[in-house]
Amino acid sequence: MEQQKSPVLSRRAFLGAMAATGVVVACGTTPSTSPSGSAKPATLSGTVTVSYPDELGAKPKYVEKAAADLKAKYSGVDVKIDLQKISSDDYYTKLLLALSGGGDVPDVIHVGGDRIGELADAGYIEPLDKYVAQWEDWKNYPQAVKDGVSYQGKVWAVPYGLDMRWLYIRRDVMDKAGLGADWTPKNVDDILIAAKAVKDKNAAPIPYALYAGVGASTGTANHSFVPLVWAYGGDIIDKTSGKWIGDSPAVRKTLDYYQRAYSGGLTPKEILTTTKPWTSMREKEGNGQLALLFEGGWVYGGWQSANKTETEKNVHYVLHPTLSAGPSFTIGGPGTVWYVTAKSKNKDAAWAFIAQWNNKDTVAKLNIEDPHPVARSDSADVAEFKAQPYLVDSTKALEKARFIPTDANYGKVIDAIQKATGRVAAGEMSPVDAAKRYTDDLKQAIGADKVITQ
Amino acid sequence: MGTAVGAGAIRPRSTAASALRRNSAYLAGLSPAAILLTLFFIGPSMWALYTSFTNKALVGIDAARPRFVGLDNYQRLVSDPDFATVVLNSIVFVVGSAVIGQFVLGLLLALLLDHSERRRYRFGTVAYAAVLLAWVNPTVIAGFLWVAMYDFYYGSLNTGLGLFGLGPVDWLGRFPMLAVIIGNIWRGTAFTMLIFLGALKTIPSDIYEAARVDGANTWRRFWDHTLPSLRPIAALALLSITMSTFGTFILIQTLTNGGPGSQTEVIALYAFHEAFRSYEIGYGSTIAVVMLLLNVAFAIVYLRWSRARA
Amino acid sequence: MVEGAGVSIGSEARVQTIVPPRVRPLGAGSRLEWVLMHIAFVVITVFFLAPFVWLFTAAFDAQAKAYIRFPSQPTLDNFVQIFDKYAFATALGNSVFVAVSTMILTVAVVALAGYSLSRIEIRQKAWITYAILLLQTMPLSATMVPIYGLARELGLRNSYLGLILVHSAIELPFLVWLMKGFFDSVPRQLEEAAWLDGRGKLRALFEIVLPVARPGIAVAAGLSFLSAWAEVLMVLILVDQQSMKTIPLAFYETFRTAGGYNEVQYGLIAAMGVLYVLPVMAVFFATRRLMVRGLMNSTRGL
Repeated sequence: MEQQKSPVLSRRAFLGAMAATGVVVACGTTPSTSPSGSAKPATLSGTVTVSYPDELGAKPKYVEKAAADLKAKYSGVDVKIDLQKISSDDYYTKLLLALSGGGDVPDVIHVGGDRIGELADAGYIEPLDKYVAQWEDWKNYPQAVKDGVSYQGKVWAVPYGLDMRWLYIRRDVMDKAGLGADWTPKNVDDILIAAKAVKDKNAAPIPYALYAGVGASTGTANHSFVPLVWAYGGDIIDKTSGKWIGDSPAVRKTLDYYQRAYSGGLTPKEILTTTKPWTSMREKEGNGQLALLFEGGWVYGGWQSANKTETEKNVHYVLHPTLSAGPSFTIGGPGTVWYVTAKSKNKDAAWAFIAQWNNKDTVAKLNIEDPHPVARSDSADVAEFKAQPYLVDSTKALEKARFIPTDANYGKVIDAIQKATGRVAAGEMSPVDAAKRYTDDLKQAIGADKVITQ
Repeated sequence: MGTAVGAGAIRPRSTAASALRRNSAYLAGLSPAAILLTLFFIGPSMWALYTSFTNKALVGIDAARPRFVGLDNYQRLVSDPDFATVVLNSIVFVVGSAVIGQFVLGLLLALLLDHSERRRYRFGTVAYAAVLLAWVNPTVIAGFLWVAMYDFYYGSLNTGLGLFGLGPVDWLGRFPMLAVIIGNIWRGTAFTMLIFLGALKTIPSDIYEAARVDGANTWRRFWDHTLPSLRPIAALALLSITMSTFGTFILIQTLTNGGPGSQTEVIALYAFHEAFRSYEIGYGSTIAVVMLLLNVAFAIVYLRWSRARA
Repeated sequence: MVEGAGVSIGSEARVQTIVPPRVRPLGAGSRLEWVLMHIAFVVITVFFLAPFVWLFTAAFDAQAKAYIRFPSQPTLDNFVQIFDKYAFATALGNSVFVAVSTMILTVAVVALAGYSLSRIEIRQKAWITYAILLLQTMPLSATMVPIYGLARELGLRNSYLGLILVHSAIELPFLVWLMKGFFDSVPRQLEEAAWLDGRGKLRALFEIVLPVARPGIAVAAGLSFLSAWAEVLMVLILVDQQSMKTIPLAFYETFRTAGGYNEVQYGLIAAMGVLYVLPVMAVFFATRRLMVRGLMNSTRGL
């Protein structure tokens, strides 16, 4: 992740160019806008280091294309790509180590959009308002999407593929369990009832996967706890006061749901002990060994590419039900995004890379390969995108999406959620006690003044 | 408490200067190691100690502006109900896998193999190799191997049980501590076995002869002669494996990641989680310092105990 | 390890313990004993070898899972793939180079340090010895962050030098302590004779003491090689570049990323595991007698 000293430019020339760019930026000079409306700075130079992890294998070609296109536009710019073949969790840890110390940092990084708050508070990332204000394409992004990458009144990133989640149901297993292939839950408790039916009739080895504990990482919160709290009519944060909610009726009901799922043997304990439980659960849903799973929309893409006909026939996807058959919903998120680091020595060029990457075609094509709803509405109009029913469904589902506010403390809240759900799932505590302990953990983690109970 | 003096040499009492002169070669000999130890152990330990008095984090506000918080982290640790569980888990793990497991098994294996060597049983070498193999393979592999053993649906253990008509056991879900203890015993027994094997070879055979002539049977020979001769080594082995087992966490992380809940969260894993999952390196350092102190305490206890015997 | 206790054994006994006495064979035992012993051997062998069955079946299985499955069609494809697509050759080469270099450096450093610590005469010797041993117990999770910073400042990241230095340092306290114990069991008369002859301390060390110290050196070499071969946490923080990765890193990469979001390619992991494990196995089995002697003497002199 370190910038190697460029042998092409002499150190002094390099620093001179940086200083010049720095002066320009510091004076707040905005690049002149041409009549066509796109803001193109008069000149850009220097090296931009782009660092990112990749698990699926889809991104590298687009990164390379963006780098090549950028170099073609500005001959003085060199883009150095640093692809880390590690999971995003490990990448984040190493990134934080690099950002927290002195020394060189990459100019452009690729991290989940839900980390905006904590990265901004730490002073690791650069606000992009002055760039997006001059960027013509920014008008294609709906306000809700823009809000999703805003924190403390500033914009910090440009999203490209949004997160949304489905409740996946195996038609073949539901059929075998006697519920009918087109079964959908009418309310939240129906999920557990169906899981029990699957278990009793032995229709699949694993009836349901409900993420709990620390091993399931952010999935415990985003794919299980938070949707359930919402389904039970509550919330995890109080929007008016901005305080996080600890013990509350909805939280208690959610933890009770966890207890019913785990003690009834409806969901496997291996979720609590494996380091990457979601991989196994996703695999099993794909091959019919798991019946019910609430997971990211992008997972469907993996099943589709493995076996298109089988997946389209047997994997049914619906929104998350609520307690009293109220409107079903999904949980959305800004997806993984590119940031400009605060200590970058070449912020203009870094932004230029991000702008280059976020063009209509790249955004559309990448999100076809790795299915996500697109962040910019003109990409959704691209023919290939519209031709995929799954992608159209996912994008439409976003109309019913609820979002978690960008808050720097969410990471710590996730920790507390993991602990609370882990305790209940492991049978160490009753739901009522765990809910009380959840309040204590939250207070310890983020300060008692930021927590309320209901 | 003297220093180990060579036989026959009488050293006159010396001044500090002549001590320095006499030892100068040895001090020089120690310097490469001293440099490496300072850079990679003493320095980082000092950093950890200092950080334990701050609320430094790798991300968020506490990354931008960490504060000195004095003993707050230590207070938090002591009053954290989770920490009590973690310490208890650590004790159970160390006693189970090191004291009872590796130590006893290592001794038994050494006795067995030593005896088999005297009797010239060739097959003993195969057993010996098997034990060594378990110790020599890297920890990441060991983790995967035991996950395969413990898997609920198709794992080797449950498949084996199935052959006998017994139902599958959710090893990692219902007996996580036992599962990791067995895994660790499997992993580390070779070390104690090697130490005891060496020790057994040095027990002069005359002792056996004399006892046999005296008419003592095998059991008495073992109890009265073999075991006492092993005592100093045993104490040493015990100290060594206790300290290293206390710091084990990769194996546990791969098998159960501290779960379910916090049932196998041992202190080394807890420190790792706080530092690199919650990114609270201040608090993580606090746990590490406490670990170090616990090790020191144990070493002192051991020292008193072995001195009392010697 | 108790200084006082070490003195009580007379010098004759010390000289004797350098070379293990010949094992006085007993005659053949009873039939019952033979049967019982061999049952014990079988149980032990099964217990210690059973987990490896997974490794050796999954490595040859294109559809390997996390549990044992006998492959319907054994194939070498996993091995081909790890060299083709996952740059295992680089990882293997780096691991070998780093482990061997670490071994050489460590042996030199700890032999020197162990000998010096054994022979030095200062009042705080016992405390220093204990302190060094206790350093080993500092958990890596706490030292990872400062070592990361240190490595970056010194330019040691993504370099062989950095890897070798850090890998040597990791096992250093324990090995210094072990070597001290070993040299304690080597009687001083040997060197003292050499000194009286007019040879300097260093020459005496090289020419007289080290040849006798071969078992101890073997232990230090073996343990340092093993620890460097297996080290994963330090490599994670020291290495970003693909060209510098060692096997544990390749392992983690494959575990985390091969197969995308929904799958883990256990076959590839097992294939890497087989190649990872075999070299160490062979080396340790070949040198086992030397190891035992070395460990035995290291723990005698305490």
